[in-house]
Amino acid sequence: MAHYKIMGQDPYWMNFYGLMILTLIEVLAVGADLVPLADSLGTEEKVVTLWILTIIAIPKFIMIAAIFMHLYGDEDSAILTMTALFPAFFILIMVLFVGLTHPDAASSLPDWCRPGNYGL
Amino acid sequence: MSGDHHPSAWGPHDWRHGAPHNSWSPFILSLGVAIFLFTLAGAFKFGEFQGWGSVPLIFVGLGVIGFSLLVWWRQDMSFGVDGEVFEPKSAGAPFQNIDIRKVAMWMFLMSEMMVFTSLFSTYMRYRFGIPNCQTVFESGEWVEGTSVTCFEPAGHLIASSWFHIAPGAINTFALIISSFTIVQALRYAKKKDMDEDVRRRKVTRYLGTTWLLAILFLTLKMIEWFVGFPLPEFLHEFNHGDSSIKSLYAEGYLINADSYQHHAYDTHYIEAHPDDYSIPEDSALYAMMQAGTHPGGHMMANIQVSATTFYVTTGTHGAHVLGGIVGLTYMTLKAARGGYTPDNAVSIEYFGLYWHFVDLVWVLVFPFFYLY
Repeated sequence: MAHYKIMGQDPYWMNFYGLMILTLIEVLAVGADLVPLADSLGTEEKVVTLWILTIIAIPKFIMIAAIFMHLYGDEDSAILTMTALFPAFFILIMVLFVGLTHPDAASSLPDWCRPGNYGL
Repeated sequence: MSGDHHPSAWGPHDWRHGAPHNSWSPFILSLGVAIFLFTLAGAFKFGEFQGWGSVPLIFVGLGVIGFSLLVWWRQDMSFGVDGEVFEPKSAGAPFQNIDIRKVAMWMFLMSEMMVFTSLFSTYMRYRFGIPNCQTVFESGEWVEGTSVTCFEPAGHLIASSWFHIAPGAINTFALIISSFTIVQALRYAKKKDMDEDVRRRKVTRYLGTTWLLAILFLTLKMIEWFVGFPLPEFLHEFNHGDSSIKSLYAEGYLINADSYQHHAYDTHYIEAHPDDYSIPEDSALYAMMQAGTHPGGHMMANIQVSATTFYVTTGTHGAHVLGGIVGLTYMTLKAARGGYTPDNAVSIEYFGLYWHFVDLVWVLVFPFFYLY
């Protein structure tokens, strides 16, 4: 169990409150009218929604793994975190190939990942 | 390990001699799962039942799985001997002095991570590789009566109103609460300065609550997929005048949907309901209809790939919740008999790791499959 506190409070309760608030923001973000924001950013509402959802999902993921799954604060947290992150390498490879096998990969990739850059 | 002790790969095992290094159960389990999944997949073709031919083999697969669990059970049932509890530690680097069961659970979760990663990358690949149905509709590159292949995200249906999103949103909160309740169960099971009866009641209450939340999760998923739900009359006006929320099944969002139709892709419906939908004025379809080169109508779509990625991913997650319910049923009954003490509370911790992982996966499934 946790041997630390978050803002002087029980970490599990604090984590629980945090997760509930983030989830509420997530659901509200989908219902909210983000068209003006998307227009001001020069993009589509769907893209803004995707960014908001991704940005919220990351801290939620970390909060559950670090506090509920004890990957933070325990004696064996460091090695178990390394263990949990091991598949990340394969995940990156998979995501890379998802990008490379995209139908538009040959014609629509941005300049920075096309031949002619980085001295290639 | 003593010289005359030969641990059996079939169990039971005397844990006083240390942890067994051999077991047949992973191999038998893999074989059983392979037979089960292969024959189950063969029993259906595009959602159509292909006859009873492969059904016996499905049960053979389940039987082999059950047998492997029995072997595993025989080895682990001897975990506590004569009232003593043996929690073997890993001896070698890098997990030295960490409970073997904890390391094993993390190894298992790593493999689970790869399973869900492959499902997510499949989804990403198709989501970004197949034109979105909304895009195809607005492009005007379709003719009424002919099906076009496009990607229809489930989120288009689910995130279309607060009512549609309700089951998924409630499920999200349910899983987060259940992650918290399992931690609370562990906290009280581990607490040393505590009356045994109070411990029994608290651990049972928290495990039981987790079980109930898991049941709620699957129930809402079934409602969302197959049943739908009625709305009180005063809410009809907020649901386009409809008296109920249709299930995904009733909406026609199926793995064999090769002629899917939705009123968002019906120009006549859009013209009749301008408050609900519109055709963007800068779209090709709008320009074509204004010029009289597109007659409009109701677009028909083949959405088999999008529906399959949705059901396979959320279904795999749901299967994990179902597995959790089986474990929670056993653990809640054990807790009710006072079966958890600070000496064996780690069992709740290791199950909790699995349960938190199920929650973690949902943290990604919910936004990307339900909301986006």
